[in-house]
Amino acid sequence: MTDSPNGEDLKAAAQRLSDRHHRIEKPAWPDGARIAVNFTADFDAMLLRRLNNEPAMQLAKGEFGGRVGIWRLIELFDQHRIKATIFTVGRICELYPRALEAAVSSGHELADHMWEHRVPKEPELELDHLRKTAAALERISGRRPVGSRSHHTPALLRSEGYIYNSHGSPSHHPYYVLDSKGAPCLLELPFHYAIDDAMFFSFAWYQSANASQRLSDTDRVFDLWWAAFMQQYRQGGYLNVCLHPFVSGRALRIAMLDRLIARMKTLPGVWFATCEEVARHCLKQHPPRGSSA
Amino acid sequence: MPWKDRYTISDEKSLADGDIRWPEGRRCAVHIVVDLSIASGPQGLEMRDLESPAAEFGSHEGLELVLEALQSHGLRATFAVPAVLAQMHPAKIKALIERGHEVATHGLRHEDVSLLGRDEEKARLERATEILTQVSGRKPAGWFSLPRQTDPFAGGTISSSTMDLLIEAGYTYMGNGLADDIPHYWVTDFASRRAILTLPYYYHFDDQFFCMFPVAGTGLENPDMLLRNWRAELDAQYRRNRFFTMTLHPQHIGWGHRLAGLEEFLRYMTALPDLWNPTGAECARYWLATYPAATHLKLEPSIWKDYPGSLS
Repeated sequence: MTDSPNGEDLKAAAQRLSDRHHRIEKPAWPDGARIAVNFTADFDAMLLRRLNNEPAMQLAKGEFGGRVGIWRLIELFDQHRIKATIFTVGRICELYPRALEAAVSSGHELADHMWEHRVPKEPELELDHLRKTAAALERISGRRPVGSRSHHTPALLRSEGYIYNSHGSPSHHPYYVLDSKGAPCLLELPFHYAIDDAMFFSFAWYQSANASQRLSDTDRVFDLWWAAFMQQYRQGGYLNVCLHPFVSGRALRIAMLDRLIARMKTLPGVWFATCEEVARHCLKQHPPRGSSA
Repeated sequence: MPWKDRYTISDEKSLADGDIRWPEGRRCAVHIVVDLSIASGPQGLEMRDLESPAAEFGSHEGLELVLEALQSHGLRATFAVPAVLAQMHPAKIKALIERGHEVATHGLRHEDVSLLGRDEEKARLERATEILTQVSGRKPAGWFSLPRQTDPFAGGTISSSTMDLLIEAGYTYMGNGLADDIPHYWVTDFASRRAILTLPYYYHFDDQFFCMFPVAGTGLENPDMLLRNWRAELDAQYRRNRFFTMTLHPQHIGWGHRLAGLEEFLRYMTALPDLWNPTGAECARYWLATYPAATHLKLEPSIWKDYPGSLS
C-alpha cells in the first residue's frame, strides 16, 4: 500500500483550498445591474500551434483569427457598443498590430495572455516575458495592462502592477486568491470551459483522439450560453464569455454572438464592461476581507 | 526581411465585405467540392481501402445520388480526384466533365505528402497531373490536399515544398486553405511575392467529420449538426456578400437520411437569389483577374524580431 492520505489530512487540505479563495458573495454592480458580462477574446492566432510545432494547415487555421476573426469581433462589439477585453499574446503585437490598434481606438481593453502563450519555468525568464508583453501592449494602447489570463505566478503579476487574472472557475462570482501567507493577492474573474467557444468548435485539436473532437453547431451553443446567462441573471451574478478570434471569427459564429448579445440587451440590468472595469469595481465595492485597501 | 517571413502565409488583413464583387453583381459565391478519395490512411489509396462496402457505395450508388442531387438543383461542383482513382474509373471521370463539373487533382493517391522528400513529392505531383490530364482530356487547374479521416488534425496535410511545387507545375489554385473564408494568396516567398491562389476550406462544412465522429459506426454521428452549420454559414456569408463552400464525400453524405438532408439544404440554398456557383477554376480565374496579387496582396516590412529566450 502506498501511504494514502487519511480523513484528517484530506479535511485539512480541503480547508486550505477554501481558505485560499474568498468569493464575493453578493456582488453589487453599478446602477443596480443584475449581472456583469465580460466578453473576452483570447488572441493567440497561430502562436500556440507554432509553439506545439504543428503543421502548416494548423497554422493557417490560426491565421484566420488575425486576418479575419479579430476584425469581425471588434466590429461586432462596436455595433453593440460593448467594450470587451482582448487577452493578447505579446508577440501578436508584431504580427497583427493594426487589429490591436483598431481595438484600442474602439475603447477595448488589451490585457496579458503571455508573451508566446507559455509561462517559462525559469523565474527570470518568466519576469522577462511578462515585462515584454506589458511593454508591447503599452506601445499599442498607450497604457500598461492591468489584467492577465495566464498561469503566471500571482505574486509576480501583483508586483508588476496587475490587479486581476481571469483563469479558474471555483465560483460563478469574482473572487480573491490569497497567497501562501494568507494575504489577498489578485482578484480573479472566473471563466468556465463551458462558456469557451474552442470547447465546442475547435474541432481537430492536433493529435486529439476522435472521442474528444469538438463538433457542434451555433444553434446548440446559443441555447447553452443563453441558459448560462439566464441562470446568473436570475439570481444576480457574473458571466465571462471566452472567445477566440480564429474560432468565433467565422461568419456563422459572429451571427450567433450577434443574436446572443441582442437578446441579452432585451433585459434590463445587464452591465457589459471590460474586465478591468469589473475588477476595479470589485476592488472598490468589495475589497478583500482583512485588507486595508 | 518581409514582415511575415517564415511565419505566416498571407497578408495581414482579409478583403472587407464591402470590397468584394462577384460577376454580374451576384451576392455570394458557392463552391461545392466533392472529394472522391476513399483513402483511409497517410499512404493514400491502398488495396485495403477497396475492400469495404463504403468504398463500393461511394464510387457508384453514392456518387450517382450526389450527382443527381446537384444536377436537379442546377449546381456544379469541383471533384477532387486522386489520380489512381481516375485510372480506376476513367469513364466516370470523363462523364463528370461532360456534365459541367470540374476535375481537380487530389494527389497521386491522396497520400500525406508531408511524409515525402521534395524530389519524391515532385515526381508524384507530375505523375498525378499527367494521369488526370490523360483521363479527363484537359490539364487540371486545381490541386487539393483534403484531410483523411485518420489524420491527426482536420486541415489536410502539405509539405514545406507543396505550394512551391504547385506553382512550378502551373497549377492555377490550391483548393483547401484555412486562413480566410474567401479566395486568398498563399505566399511561398516574400521577397519575390511568389504566391498561389488558395480557395477556402473549413472542416465544419465537411460532411465526413459529422458522419465519422465521435466514432464511426456507432450511430453517434451528427448529420443534423452538419446541416445547421451549412445553413448558418451560408446565411451569414450571403449577408456579407462573401463565399460559401461545402465539402462532400459520396460514401458519407450519399446515404439515406444524410442525402435527404443534403437535398433539403440544396433546395434552401438555391432559393436564395443571386448566387454564383462557379467551379474552383472559374472562381480562381475570376479572382486572379479581379483581385490580382500585384495590386491586392499587401506585404509589408517585418517588425517581427528574434529575442533571446523566445521562439524565433
